[in-house]
Amino acid sequence: MILVGENINIISKTIGPALKERDSEPIQKMAKDEASAGVDYLDLNIGPARKAGDELMAWLVDTVQAVTDKLLSLDTTNPVATEAGLKACNSRALINSVSLQPERLEKVLPMVKQYDADMIGLLWGIEGMPRDANERCMLAVDLVYRANQLGIPNENIWIDPIVTPISVEINQLKACLDFMSMLTEIAPGCKSIVGLSNVSNGTPSHLRSYLNRTFLAMLMKHDLHSAIVDSFDEELIRLARGEMPEIVSLVHNMMDGNMPDMSSLNLKQVEYAKTVRVLNGETLYSDSWLEI
Amino acid sequence: MVFEIPKIEYSGQIKKVTLGSDNSAVTVGGETSYPFHLFEGGVPNLPRIAMEIYDTPPDDWPEAALAPFEGVIDDPVNWAKKCIDEYNAEMICLQLLSTDPNGLDRSAEEATAVVKKVVDAIEIPLIVWGTANHEKDTEVLRKVCEVCQGKRLVIGPVEEGDYKKIAAAALGYDHTVIASSPIDINLAKQLNILLGNLGIPEEHIIMDPTVSSIGYGIEYCYSVMERIRMAALTQQDDKLQLPIICNIAKETWKTKEVKTPETEEPKLGDAKKRGILMEAMSALVLLLAGGDVVVMRHPEAIKLIREIITELTTS
Repeated sequence: MILVGENINIISKTIGPALKERDSEPIQKMAKDEASAGVDYLDLNIGPARKAGDELMAWLVDTVQAVTDKLLSLDTTNPVATEAGLKACNSRALINSVSLQPERLEKVLPMVKQYDADMIGLLWGIEGMPRDANERCMLAVDLVYRANQLGIPNENIWIDPIVTPISVEINQLKACLDFMSMLTEIAPGCKSIVGLSNVSNGTPSHLRSYLNRTFLAMLMKHDLHSAIVDSFDEELIRLARGEMPEIVSLVHNMMDGNMPDMSSLNLKQVEYAKTVRVLNGETLYSDSWLEI
Repeated sequence: MVFEIPKIEYSGQIKKVTLGSDNSAVTVGGETSYPFHLFEGGVPNLPRIAMEIYDTPPDDWPEAALAPFEGVIDDPVNWAKKCIDEYNAEMICLQLLSTDPNGLDRSAEEATAVVKKVVDAIEIPLIVWGTANHEKDTEVLRKVCEVCQGKRLVIGPVEEGDYKKIAAAALGYDHTVIASSPIDINLAKQLNILLGNLGIPEEHIIMDPTVSSIGYGIEYCYSVMERIRMAALTQQDDKLQLPIICNIAKETWKTKEVKTPETEEPKLGDAKKRGILMEAMSALVLLLAGGDVVVMRHPEAIKLIREIITELTTS
């Protein structure tokens, strides 16, 4: 699985001010740390970047490329900033992201072709968030068609089905998984990617990784191609790298409806099993889900 | 071919919670089906109405809400008696408005003295509702629990931010707690778990999902309550199998649609009728969503709801 490190982000307490002040040191340290943690890409999230976004993204790309040759994901809603990032990139970039909103289609989609980049195809429609798996399918078909029309092959499209926080609406997580099980039929050759940490948004920070890891294992059942993740969650990275096959098969068995005998599991397995149950909606989520 | 009404498979049951003490105790909950699904069996206890009274004369009620209580609004004991004798109240909910730190800010001692007088004067269950200020409620409700030991009060709101001390006092002096969460099913569940961890028996908890009036987001309350009942009855979620109380009267009578006099806005029509219907319809929506106890104000709105409950439950 391809892992995209999420830690260079404008909302981070260290990175945010560094971006603002063009202070390269904290950013380069973060880039090096992420690289040594073993991720494949670094996501460069500068947010909406309405003012001088192009200059900021170009500076950030240069700053990061000076210390690592990891591939880069250009994460901003400002198309001008995206283009500046593409121009600065030494290697093939990943554009994060193109949705079905008119501005993204008109301005960003052509850049995918022009700069021979990969793109994240975010399933966000004109009316916003898709409500279920079927609406995700419709959006995916539409988005892929638009990309193909410009000559962008499916292989360059990484579909993002949108992961929502567990505490918001559990049916959205089920819809995300359902959609993932259909993706290869709907859009053969397309890749997939998720913003994994969103699943645990709003939950106590010391418990977030339990949800992130377990949901990743669940997505792996549908051959998830890549995920944007916390670079410093070691267990998550081991899981993604196939180093925890027993946990993965426990999770996948549960998804097939085979409930394990809880008393036969070790502590870690129990934690994963309990987390599967809240993520697939069998048990309603509460912050104490691991304790009950 | 005979038509068969499709029936839902239920796997859970709402716990029975007994409010009040001795002969006058009232049991709510116990459902094994969705609200008013009598054709599916289990609604052993019909929803109940608690009439609200205030510990200080309210200064922002429209005329229509004050009229039925003329002469008693400055005396909680007589107010409670009037509700019982004239309006056949089954339960009283005493709102401790005077303790609001942003208002009169009366002390815990003063408030407790009023609660004690009321509870000693009536024989039906008494609900005591604070102001949802964590610090003040902790002070006031703990004192109330202590002084009214053995009276089996229903005490609230108990929220995630103040549950430890209030619930501990309720546990120590044998009262029931109102577990109050901000219109969120996950947070409702979490608070019930926390209360359980503290040792509060489930038979001593009733849930308050936080409700609002028609026009002010009642759809959202409905949806959360509906999902709570689905989890409790069809997904065996034993942390949510508790009766629900809805403190709805004050939410309806404070809206501008109810408070605006007809002289100011003739198009809105008769203010009294408007207030009564707003209260009754809001209460009805919440009963249909799964409310077990509704806190109500106007005797005519209450009469309407009683009639509807009877109509919906007699075959």
